Amino acid sequence: MNITPVRDGEYRVEHDDRQDIVYVAAHGDSQWAFWNGHVFREERRRDEPEKTSAAASAARGPQRLTAPMPATVIKVLVSPKQKVGKGDTVVLLEAMKMELPVRALADGTVTAVNCREGDLVQPDQILVELS
Amino acid sequence: MIKRVLIANRGEIAVRVVRACREMGIESVAVYSDADRSAPHVAAADRAVAIGPAAAAESYLSIPRLLDAAKASGADAVHPGYGFLAENAGFADACERAGLTFVGPPASVITQMGSKIEARRLMQSAGVPVVPGETPEDQSDEGIQRAVHGAGFPALIKASAGGGGKGMRRVQTKSEALEAIQAARREATAAFGDGTLYVEHLIGRARHVEVQVLGDQHGQVVHLFERECSVQRRHQKIIEESPSPALSAGLRDAITSAAVRAAKAVAYRGAGTIEFLLEGTGDAARFYFLEMNTRLQVEHPVTEQVLGVDLVRAQLLVAAGERLAWTQYALAQRGHSIEARIYAEDPAQNFMPQAGPLVLCREPRMPGVRVDSGVVEGGEVTVHYDPLLAKVIATAETRELARQRLIAALRAYPILGIRTNIPFLLRVLDHPRLVAGDVDTGFLDGEGAGLAAAPELELPPFVRAVFDHHEAESQKARVDSRQSRSTADSRLLTLDSRLSTPDSADYDPWARLKEWRV
Repeated sequence: MNITPVRDGEYRVEHDDRQDIVYVAAHGDSQWAFWNGHVFREERRRDEPEKTSAAASAARGPQRLTAPMPATVIKVLVSPKQKVGKGDTVVLLEAMKMELPVRALADGTVTAVNCREGDLVQPDQILVELS
Repeated sequence: MIKRVLIANRGEIAVRVVRACREMGIESVAVYSDADRSAPHVAAADRAVAIGPAAAAESYLSIPRLLDAAKASGADAVHPGYGFLAENAGFADACERAGLTFVGPPASVITQMGSKIEARRLMQSAGVPVVPGETPEDQSDEGIQRAVHGAGFPALIKASAGGGGKGMRRVQTKSEALEAIQAARREATAAFGDGTLYVEHLIGRARHVEVQVLGDQHGQVVHLFERECSVQRRHQKIIEESPSPALSAGLRDAITSAAVRAAKAVAYRGAGTIEFLLEGTGDAARFYFLEMNTRLQVEHPVTEQVLGVDLVRAQLLVAAGERLAWTQYALAQRGHSIEARIYAEDPAQNFMPQAGPLVLCREPRMPGVRVDSGVVEGGEVTVHYDPLLAKVIATAETRELARQRLIAALRAYPILGIRTNIPFLLRVLDHPRLVAGDVDTGFLDGEGAGLAAAPELELPPFVRAVFDHHEAESQKARVDSRQSRSTADSRLLTLDSRLSTPDSADYDPWARLKEWRV
């Protein structure tokens, strides 16, 4: 295999009797590649323990419902001690002119509401906790 | 004639308008919010004026700030682009009152057509068929619910001031109605400042076919044929083309003359689009007026490509009072053009809009491919605005060749740092129903829905090798930069000596021209 840089972030790879152009860029802990319309993304620090995903933790114990991206809270639909069912919308966010519902991943009871209408929230910020 | 145009918009459409202005010798004035200080549309224009904070309501949607910017920059006309204030009659009116030429129809026409309810009534009286539905006087939850039941399921709740799928909700069953009504009203109020709703019966397996029209101030109206925009996800168009693969010659005549009739009914001026729903196929197909958009459309390039015209130029000429440059007979479709919209969104995560840096972003360059984009490598996609990054338009002799060309272009359009819909678009463009041109507006939400979550290709070994190579290179660069100045100096020296190597100087004939340099 022979790798030749073409431009910044662009490489020509000769392999298996053919050649391909591959684009690569790193940002933060992520490394991205593009080849022929396919996008690949990898975390660079592979030794670090993986973050427990919301879906995985939902199966057992408390749920922490988080903002998926920077967004504005437009409606908080639950209050502490309220019972919610799987799939119920607990908070309504708005980002890029679209409404994004944050839904309960399983049945539960609201233990804490950590946001208010009008708040600007950041990715992974915990908005609502359920038991 | 117009001398200086303020472009009350951002992103790709602002860049597009700048380009037309430059070709016509008209000066362009960009406006920008705090979030867009270094945006491409600002760099592209002849002048740029700051108009306020990132929030659109305080910048791109603020009429007083835009008028101030026009005054400060000495503009004599305003191009609104699409979205933001493009279909705001108050803005058109305020521009005219401030002595600025508004590049669009008169405020009264925007009002008439902006009220989808009023537009339906007008079209009916002009003999243009409309979708069966109801407009409740009683706008309460109960009133709309009654209208939903009246229209029958499935029904579509729509915003009177709506467009682009905002404030629109589909209702399949009675139990969904209330939540849908409230969400539609909220979205409509937030996006348009008007929560008035109406209800239409949802026509199943319909195509979205629209007709481009253009009118001048002297009473002439021409149509520029149709665009097919049936590839939509939740009422957001994704892939558009011209001509429509669904129109027979007879139907094309019927739908384009209906569009001209509709435009004449309101004494239309400027570029506009009449949207229709098309049900059935062949000459037996029926079409219904959906709405009229009193502005330039996102998908206008496919019309420009097959008609060989510049719609923004035409808009500016008409706004300046000139007669249309073409008669209807001079306009004909040639070849086929398909556009794909590139969005910052993650199809695998329910099309969640993505914000973040464009670490690498390289546009494809190839014959027959046009890229209208509003972003550059090194730029940042923020949460404040629409996630549309660019449009790729491929034109060729036939539909199939245009499709293949578009696929080739998207395969050569790397955008890294945030997720985009490019891999998804490629799957859509390869779907047998799209290949056959047999697509209705329900395609992507129904049969095509699985395309969003297609399994990702496993990392090929040669891409892994480039990853590792790149990682090693950048680590080396980091180590290098940490070393002493002397290293940096010596590298500069190496570079210098390379530039002045004798053989390169000897070899270059220009180096020996001396005073004969051109």
